[in-house]
Amino acid sequence: MATADRLDRRDGTPALSARSVSVAYGDDPVLSDLSLAVDPGEVLAVIGPSGVGKTTLLRVLSLSLRPDDGIVTVDGTDAWTADAAGRLALRRRIGLVFQEPSLFEGSVARNVSYGLRVRRSWRERIRDGLASAVGFDGPSAGSNGTAAAVREALSVVGLADATDRPASSLSGGEAQRVSFARALAYDPDVLLLDEPTSDLDPRNTAVVEDAMGEAAGRGIGVVLATHDMHQAERVADRVAVLLGGAFAEVGPTAAVFEDPDDDRTRKFISGELVW
Amino acid sequence: MIVGVAPFVQGVPVAVLVDPAIPVGTLLHAAIPTGVVVDATVPVGVPFESVYVRSIVAVSLYVSGLAVLLGTLVGVPLAVALGSVEFPGKRLVTSAFTAGMGFPSVVVGLLVLFAVSNQGPLGGLDLVFTREAMVLSQFVLATPAIVAISLAAVSGVDESVRDAARALGGTRVDVALVTVREARYGVATAVLAGFGRAISEVGSVLIVGGNIAGADGVSKTRTLTTAIQLEARQGRYDTAMVLGGLLMALVLAVNLVVVRLGDEGMVR
Ligand SMILES: Nc1ncnc2c1ncn2[C@@H]1O[C@H](COP(=O)(O)OP(=O)(O)O)[C@@H](O)[C@H]1O
Ligand SMILES: [Mg+2]
Repeated sequence: MATADRLDRRDGTPALSARSVSVAYGDDPVLSDLSLAVDPGEVLAVIGPSGVGKTTLLRVLSLSLRPDDGIVTVDGTDAWTADAAGRLALRRRIGLVFQEPSLFEGSVARNVSYGLRVRRSWRERIRDGLASAVGFDGPSAGSNGTAAAVREALSVVGLADATDRPASSLSGGEAQRVSFARALAYDPDVLLLDEPTSDLDPRNTAVVEDAMGEAAGRGIGVVLATHDMHQAERVADRVAVLLGGAFAEVGPTAAVFEDPDDDRTRKFISGELVW
Repeated sequence: MIVGVAPFVQGVPVAVLVDPAIPVGTLLHAAIPTGVVVDATVPVGVPFESVYVRSIVAVSLYVSGLAVLLGTLVGVPLAVALGSVEFPGKRLVTSAFTAGMGFPSVVVGLLVLFAVSNQGPLGGLDLVFTREAMVLSQFVLATPAIVAISLAAVSGVDESVRDAARALGGTRVDVALVTVREARYGVATAVLAGFGRAISEVGSVLIVGGNIAGADGVSKTRTLTTAIQLEARQGRYDTAMVLGGLLMALVLAVNLVVVRLGDEGMVR
């Protein structure tokens, strides 16, 4: 969806929502009766201590884990009553960045174009594959549209010149920035980030945080899971505090940090709550 | 009997041994362009060696190539599937394939011969002493190696890379393709191991194929290995040696090509 279309709907349907979602691993409940809506163009930080269930929540939101209970919608469509093809289409409107970059072997361009390539028809993919096999195409294989999208996504993370570099030659910080560009390249409606800067130095962290703002500016709903409260304070429009399997508090960033309603939130923010 | 002397090849006069019953001769004739009559003393009807050797190479490549192609088409997806699911008895299945790598080829040949014989389950297909029966037995020989080695390779692919493919919108097939691509050196090794096993085994192709060449010198089910075995047994060591050299060269060439293909896909 184009930026303008997404921003027009700022007050309408959430880009992504979870309603009364519960998840247990065996007999261990992790999330219970949790609800959340992500609007287009906002950065929503989900904060909470390690092991509280942030990753589990993102797996639910990315449709990779079906909750035991509750409903997940993408742009208003219930994902788990849709058929497999419908769910794949919904899944493809979501971008996901993990703590570890996990790049594919090959060039940076190959990594960043991956999402675009899997969305093409098999006929096109085979044709492009053959073309690049016989050397008809440069390293950033695919149509011109793909090459442009790749360069554009890489420029958001300051790596526009890195298209032809082998992924294996990147530093950890660069690899994570490529991983971010890889999810941005296919212009998702929602971007889910799971502790994306935990392993990064301050400089790379700043680049990724700026990229979050850039994505939100395009109307993408950004969900940032982090245990880093300072990061949440820096980048988030809203903060949801996950404690004990449910949200202790959800609200505008300033309100949550300056005047939390919930007592546990107050303790967590002041660092008293030790887990 | 010695019926003629070939022209000097690399400066060495070569005696040509021809047994009218079995179409053979020195392979050195094969190095001479076809159409050039090199040995006028060879009786009419005795085959020209280059036809003999070429048809043997063609049969070998056809049988082992097709068997390995089929083994790859079945074995690699099977390995990827086995590598991405957990089920009770998986270890048993895995070790069955590993054990299959060591199956004696004569026994496999015997079983395939039974299968394609008149009374066997595939008896209706009329496959006894055909190349297709040889393909079948080499498929049975090569596939376990392809599965077992590919499985080891794809199991080494980081789950997080597969997760990334899924997260970026990949389907199950896309994830499988990413897995194979990440493991392509191992998978190439698996295919080469399968090819090496197929092209160099004698037992099963001898049993199910029958080592047949026509009176015109054209091989029907004679492969490099069964030809070498026959030539050596009949004392035509130079022919056997040349066929052996060809077999070695073939295996090395296929290795080179496959390794090169793996390198090609590196940075793209
Ligand atoms: N696949 C799993 N099987 C069993 N337990 C799990 C699994 N994944 C996570 N857990 C448990 O669920 C809880 C929440 O984990 P997680 O969602 O990873 O939290 P966070 O991302 O906030 O650190 C933890 O106690 C963790 O041990
Ligand atoms: Mg986590």
